[in-house]
Amino acid sequence: MGRLIRFGGVGVVLAVFGMLAFLVFQVFPLFVGAKVSPASALTVPADAVAFGEDEYGEMPFVVRRDGSILCLRSKGGAKVLEWAPSLGDRRVTSVRSYPRTGLVFLGLSDGSVQEVRVVYRSSFDAAGKRTIEPVVTALEPVPVGRAGLPCLDVWNAKGPQSRLMVVRQDEGGKPLLTAVRLTERRGLGGRGKVTVSPPFVVAADAPSVEQVLLPSTAESLIVVGRSGEVRTYADDGTTFSFLQSFFPFKEAADPAVASAGLIFGNVSVVFVDKAGAQQVWSMYPQLQPDGRSLRRWGKIHDGEKLPGAGQGIYAAESNKCYLAVAGGRLQLTNMTTGTVRWEGEAPAADIRQVAFAGNYDRFTALSADGKLHRWSVVDHHPESSWKTFFGKIWYEGATGPAYSWQSSAGSDEFEPKYSLVPLFYGTVKGTFYALLFALPIALTAAIYVSQFLRPEYRQVVKPVMEIMASLPSVVLGFLAGLWLAPLVDPRLVSLFCAIGILAPAALFAGFLWSVLPQPVRRQVRPGMEFLWLLPFLALCVWGAWQAGPAIESLCFTVKDSASGLPIADFREWWRQTTGETYDSRNSLVVGFVMGFAVIPIVFTIAEDALSNVPNSLVSGSLALGASRWQTVWSVVVPTAISGIVSAVMIGFGRAIGETMIVVMATGNTAVMDTNPFSGMRTLSANIAVELPEAAAGHTHYRALFLGACCLFLLTFVINTLAEVLRQRLRERYKVV
Amino acid sequence: MPPIMNPPSSSRIKVRPAAEREGRKDYISIRDFGFYYGEKKALDAISLDIPERQVVAFIGPSGCGKSTLLRNLNRMNDLVDGIRHEGDITINGRSIYDPGLEVISLRRRVGMVFQKSNPFPKSIFENVVYALRVVGVRDRAVLEEACETSLRKAALWDEVKDRLDDSALGLSGGQMQRLCIARAIANRPEILLMDEPCSALDPIATGKIEELIHELKEQFTIVIVTHSMQQAARVSDRTAFFYLGKQIEYDTTEKIFMNPTQAQTEAYISGRFG
Repeated sequence: MGRLIRFGGVGVVLAVFGMLAFLVFQVFPLFVGAKVSPASALTVPADAVAFGEDEYGEMPFVVRRDGSILCLRSKGGAKVLEWAPSLGDRRVTSVRSYPRTGLVFLGLSDGSVQEVRVVYRSSFDAAGKRTIEPVVTALEPVPVGRAGLPCLDVWNAKGPQSRLMVVRQDEGGKPLLTAVRLTERRGLGGRGKVTVSPPFVVAADAPSVEQVLLPSTAESLIVVGRSGEVRTYADDGTTFSFLQSFFPFKEAADPAVASAGLIFGNVSVVFVDKAGAQQVWSMYPQLQPDGRSLRRWGKIHDGEKLPGAGQGIYAAESNKCYLAVAGGRLQLTNMTTGTVRWEGEAPAADIRQVAFAGNYDRFTALSADGKLHRWSVVDHHPESSWKTFFGKIWYEGATGPAYSWQSSAGSDEFEPKYSLVPLFYGTVKGTFYALLFALPIALTAAIYVSQFLRPEYRQVVKPVMEIMASLPSVVLGFLAGLWLAPLVDPRLVSLFCAIGILAPAALFAGFLWSVLPQPVRRQVRPGMEFLWLLPFLALCVWGAWQAGPAIESLCFTVKDSASGLPIADFREWWRQTTGETYDSRNSLVVGFVMGFAVIPIVFTIAEDALSNVPNSLVSGSLALGASRWQTVWSVVVPTAISGIVSAVMIGFGRAIGETMIVVMATGNTAVMDTNPFSGMRTLSANIAVELPEAAAGHTHYRALFLGACCLFLLTFVINTLAEVLRQRLRERYKVV
Repeated sequence: MPPIMNPPSSSRIKVRPAAEREGRKDYISIRDFGFYYGEKKALDAISLDIPERQVVAFIGPSGCGKSTLLRNLNRMNDLVDGIRHEGDITINGRSIYDPGLEVISLRRRVGMVFQKSNPFPKSIFENVVYALRVVGVRDRAVLEEACETSLRKAALWDEVKDRLDDSALGLSGGQMQRLCIARAIANRPEILLMDEPCSALDPIATGKIEELIHELKEQFTIVIVTHSMQQAARVSDRTAFFYLGKQIEYDTTEKIFMNPTQAQTEAYISGRFG
């Protein structure tokens, strides 16, 4: 038997530790940095200026300065395909390739642009083995720039309606940017006709053009000048109109921008200056001098200092990471958190282009010495860091750094927000309101039932309270959300009056009782006084409830914003007076109902503790002429204090871990405010709501486990503190 | 009807006139007192008078009702469910069942020491001054003086004077019982009820308590319930013998032990039953 008990005890301890170990095991990968390992480099012609890859990186291609394309097998470097443009007397003067889509744009000497598409066709043989075969298709050159002037650079982007092609030319020492829109009308039969708009000049007011950033959505155009001025333009339907001009490194000794790059999502740009200082700028609503709030560029982060002048910023294609090339080093940084995921030596001094694979498992760099260097990346949680979960972060599009939780959005381009702070806040807020409601009721009820109520009633009250503890919290949550909240909503003032009148009414009833003559009081058996109290309280509460509307019209009359007429409405008054929100399913409702879940536990344990105070102590106190109330306060409660502390702490633990009531009775918004009339989201509710939607192994999934881990630790710490406190109190108030 | 309770003032502890002390008038008067726990009759027609500043011992075998009678003197039985009494008990001429009399003020005048010592889980000081605290005494000097006086009267002062702030639960069994006596006399009651105060103590501690009873007799009327006939013989002036809820014999201790009129008394004190 003893062995069985020992086995059970050890088993429980092991199970708890096992759970903790499982949680830690799930959470641990979040705090592992990126693992980047170089693979063998591929030798390519030294005049290769751009490159592209297939989805698996098995067959990269390079574009040489003359526009010819060479496709190689990444294993062994065998040539697969060679292709050269047939351009007549025109020459290729610039090359741009978009490695992910396989699009290559050749800027020609007469100002036109030829688009070349490299497509990989995969076929499967009888054994199911996949073979890929590159196919190069060249389209007719499109005149974009001023005729006769060679294209010095070319960009392409696909907007929602049309495609945009921009070329840079040099007109008598002055930069000239010209663009065309290509609109494709798709017929039913497949490929439609492409219409090319007449060329139009963009950013004509830019004094110099060092770098042009064209977001892949073609919504805007960012021109970086030689002086370090950044000019931004926005698509206005026909051409690009000037939006904003700023100097990211205005305060630096050399304000010039060494390199700049757009981050995945196209709303943030990383700038690096000649000294290696990094800044991230993004578009977010800013208050203009005329009082309007408009989306403008502004600095949101200061990045880690790079070892030298920036040579290039290359963004990942599926998350907010970017690779910065500077001072002979490569640095993989997460833009959102600013954490450096990996740092390494650059394989060559001059890197022409870097491209990430679509699923962020490798990146490739083309160096000027004719090498295609490749790295494999293992970084499952690039967006996670301590700061992500516990720090304030300035997210894209936000007006300032904030703690926020928003795990998913409509597109993959958004920054997931995994701050646990608002969830902690919601947990503490919900617990606070629950205990605010539950503790006074539960503890005073325990004192009354154990010390004053007649035993025969006690035998009824206690089991009933214990049955109350077994009410499923989902039922309580359902009642709170669908019955109580709409009921209380219009009669809030009445409710406050009814609750507020309880204590004064009880005291007044006690006073009335004490002035009654002895013979009348003798008629009531000791312990039956509640028969007189209860109707009195009921009457007071009913009166207060009925008086609610009158008090509301007296104290809370405001002008209705819709009709302009005065109305008596506490909710409207609250909104107008405090400027805070008022939600029907708010913290008070949750606290009220969660209190119902907590009361039975606290009551039962506290009542047990109080009943277990030896009768000899009570008799001793009474024999010394103490009243029953004095006996309770100065002997019974101090003696039972360790049990009462346990009761409170167990109630606290129950409130902290409570899930379904919060899920059902609040809006589950992860807001951080002290307003009692707004909702909240707790750690446990967050897990319940989001875990079914989180992809296993994803950062979101592990962030939820981190929340679980925190909850576990929170309750563990609180229970430990409670136990220490209890032991001390027990030592102090132990009874012989 | 004269008030039986004096206000809690110092006037009462003045040394009373010698004539009154000599008077030995009957102070507690029990008349035809019957007592029921529900249907069970625990006491039947008890009538006895207890003179002022004497020690009266109640003896008798277990279940004879001696403790029940004792606990009725300060109405500690009120807490028990389904009790009923007949007859009357008066203290200084006033019925303790007078509807105008608060039971709390009765207990402030009739102190009690229990069979098992029951110090509160507080410091020694707080234990002693508890009765003063409940009547609202806040003045530290008054409390300290009362504490010292009571502990001296209970012959405990020299043992605990250096550790008044230590927990009372650290004392030995005999010390705890003397602490309970000190606690009971701190608010200067007129009567002290002792319910087998020495039954859990060793002979040395018992000796000290008995000595104490001798000294306290100068100021208090003491009613003691005891199982030990030797103790009753040693400490009491008068002895009442109860058997099966009935009062068999009540007389001076000397008479009861030397020359009892009832055969049952004789049988009990000579150890033939009980």
